[in-house]
Amino acid sequence: MKSIYLDKDTAFIEELEDRLEKNTSLSSWELFRMAYEAEQTTMSPYFRGLRALEFLPHMEFLKHQIHTAEQVIEQMNGRAILADEVGLGKTIEAGLVLKEYMIRGLVNKALILVPASLVNQWEKELNEKFYIPAVAYRKNMSWEQGNIIISSIDTAKREPHRSTILGMDYDFVLVDEAHKLKNHKTKNYAFVRSLKKKYCLLLTATPVQNELIEIFNLVSILKPGHLGNYDSFVKSYGNDRKNMKQDLYLKQLVKKVMVRNTRKDTGLNQVKRNIETIWTEFSKEEAEVYQWLENSSALLPAFSKITLLREFCSSREACYLSLKKMLAEKPELDVFQQITEKIEQLPHHKKAEKVVDLIRQIGDEKVIIFTEYRATQFYLQWYLQQHGISSVPFRGGFKRSKKDWMRQLFQHHAQVLIATEAGGEGINLQFCNYMINYDLPWNPMRLEQRIGRIHRYGQDKDVHIYNFAIKDTVEEHIMKLLYEKIHLFEQVIGDLDAILSELSIHDLEQEIEQIYAESATTGEAKIKLHNLSAVIQTAHNTANQEEQQYGDA
Amino acid sequence: MAMRNHLNKFLISFFQANNCKILHNDDGIITIQLTEKMDKVLMNRPFYWHYIKKMGYPGDPMQLTLITNPHKREEKGEWIHFGSPRLQQIIRYLQENEKYTKLFQQITPIVHTPLYPWLVTNIKISYKGKYKRDELFSIGLNLINGTMKSDMMQTLAQFPLNTTISDFCYTLSPMIKLKSGYKRIETVLDQYVESQDHGWAVDSLQALEEEVKLLEHFYKTDTEDDQMERELEEITKRYQPQITYQVVNGGLFYLTMDIA
Repeated sequence: MKSIYLDKDTAFIEELEDRLEKNTSLSSWELFRMAYEAEQTTMSPYFRGLRALEFLPHMEFLKHQIHTAEQVIEQMNGRAILADEVGLGKTIEAGLVLKEYMIRGLVNKALILVPASLVNQWEKELNEKFYIPAVAYRKNMSWEQGNIIISSIDTAKREPHRSTILGMDYDFVLVDEAHKLKNHKTKNYAFVRSLKKKYCLLLTATPVQNELIEIFNLVSILKPGHLGNYDSFVKSYGNDRKNMKQDLYLKQLVKKVMVRNTRKDTGLNQVKRNIETIWTEFSKEEAEVYQWLENSSALLPAFSKITLLREFCSSREACYLSLKKMLAEKPELDVFQQITEKIEQLPHHKKAEKVVDLIRQIGDEKVIIFTEYRATQFYLQWYLQQHGISSVPFRGGFKRSKKDWMRQLFQHHAQVLIATEAGGEGINLQFCNYMINYDLPWNPMRLEQRIGRIHRYGQDKDVHIYNFAIKDTVEEHIMKLLYEKIHLFEQVIGDLDAILSELSIHDLEQEIEQIYAESATTGEAKIKLHNLSAVIQTAHNTANQEEQQYGDA
Repeated sequence: MAMRNHLNKFLISFFQANNCKILHNDDGIITIQLTEKMDKVLMNRPFYWHYIKKMGYPGDPMQLTLITNPHKREEKGEWIHFGSPRLQQIIRYLQENEKYTKLFQQITPIVHTPLYPWLVTNIKISYKGKYKRDELFSIGLNLINGTMKSDMMQTLAQFPLNTTISDFCYTLSPMIKLKSGYKRIETVLDQYVESQDHGWAVDSLQALEEEVKLLEHFYKTDTEDDQMERELEEITKRYQPQITYQVVNGGLFYLTMDIA
């Protein structure tokens, strides 16, 4: 066929002649044969299918993620909008597509543009999950030399970077949070459009936020003309985003360049979550200790106080150990000696009693208990044993083999598993559907990870989550002002990530600690916390309304 | 494929062939004493070697523990598997450095025996359009009589080969020059490629045409010439069907007459 370019290897035979003549640098049979074998493993014998999967045996991909990657490569020819609902793994899908292209030798040079706050996270994920040697752009790095560079769009579009980058030939360009490109009059938009690129992925959970023209703008980056030109588009569809829903033809066209998976169609939503808050109250003696600690502000750095209060809500042991450590380091704080002694005298922690009651109510079912503190973990194990309830411990730091062993013990012998860390790729416990959050993490992402241990593929029963909190303590604030107010328990909170990044909050837990540390009174802290939740809630509601606009329903 | 199923064996052979001592090899955990050369290839510490040499010390090559048994991946060492960076590094090293060879079949003859020169090439053909696919061919050409053989690597694997010639053996001078031999191999590949079904290319050309049409429509009213030029180029790059021959490795082999 004339229209196929043919590219032959002319260098090889020259070099071979040369080396034979000089009789140098010739391989042994063993190594020569191994190089051939190596080639057999790296080549891709078929047009279709994902080779990347055999390169990533440590990853467990979900069905829709694999399907999306295939669709992007095989049907969309590597240019697509990935518009999954939040929390379904757009990053994973994008990583899979990039990996596949790299394995097939189709991508060497890639530019990954993400919000500044997510640069490091992208770097970590691509390296650890995909073995893609991506590097975050750092000062004085050269854009020419790095092959896979991650940068914020703000850095990239600024001179002198801009000119250098526009002079490059990229095999692959990715833009995360691509809804920032919806306006074709912005610098961001012009910049991304003028990048020289072969394959291109735009990631956004909200491809149409306000006006229909936004989708036209996004598609025009990928496939100019696919939705017509500007005038014809406005003429045919107007600018009301509701038209997207009504116009079947437009929807069909958009589907050719956009993949959108929803919770509903991935079946992730079929199992119900029952969430219940279990309130307890401190005994009189416990309340006294708590009060005492609360009033110790003058003596302690604010962060230490908050930590002690949180620990005391969890177990006497957790707080006691911290106090002991503190006293050893700073003997001048000897006023704490008496409170330490008081803690020693306390009877059992109220929450622990509640746990035993609750487990008895649940009956013979398996239960996972999560706590933030090792000391609490030990204490609970002992306490449960005293009441004839068998349990095994679990920590993120266990070796793989120990984790597996504990999981086995839990599945076949013990009723309760007491864990301190969800541990991202820790364990999957679909055989269990009861969870007690003995204390709540201040970062809702970590709570979601905890719940994710049991609420995941393979879980066929409804899951029951019990959240413990003590009245009139910092736990009550967090429960009421953070979790309950934003309905963090009911909704899967994937979009929290995006919202927080929009608010430039890197770590919610730190943010809340900061609030407590910088507030003169508990009342002030509560008001600030309240305000923070209100902002998050507003952002969330807005995002939710978008959802309805281009859902398939 | 040998490598995927016998990774442990593959690694042992690799390091032994590179003169590294295997210190430990048990149930999927291997510890290797690297040589200076392999340390430089694999351990990525150019500064160490730069300074140690500058100071006049011999340097201390590292030991490397690799785990091929996935059930043991929590033990001390690196879990190495098909996609891991370490294995990819080794593969790349092989592809870049073990490309050329000259080898002699090893025999113990009683009388003087001639060895015939063969040009052996392992060639990868890639078909790239909307997607990409590769094929690997191992072709041998007898440089005396022009006999051509496919699956040459399999044939070669059947007898011992070495970089030096055995006693009582002598080599025949090629009648066909290396370059024209290589041309003959290419011609055979050309014929093979010609006879293939090129539906993939038709598909790709069609996609190319469609997108170019869309692009023209898009810019009908616009005057951004540069932008359009660039986008045309991008589309062409993405879809233009292309076939590439790449020699993976090859060399001159001296073999007894009866191999063909």
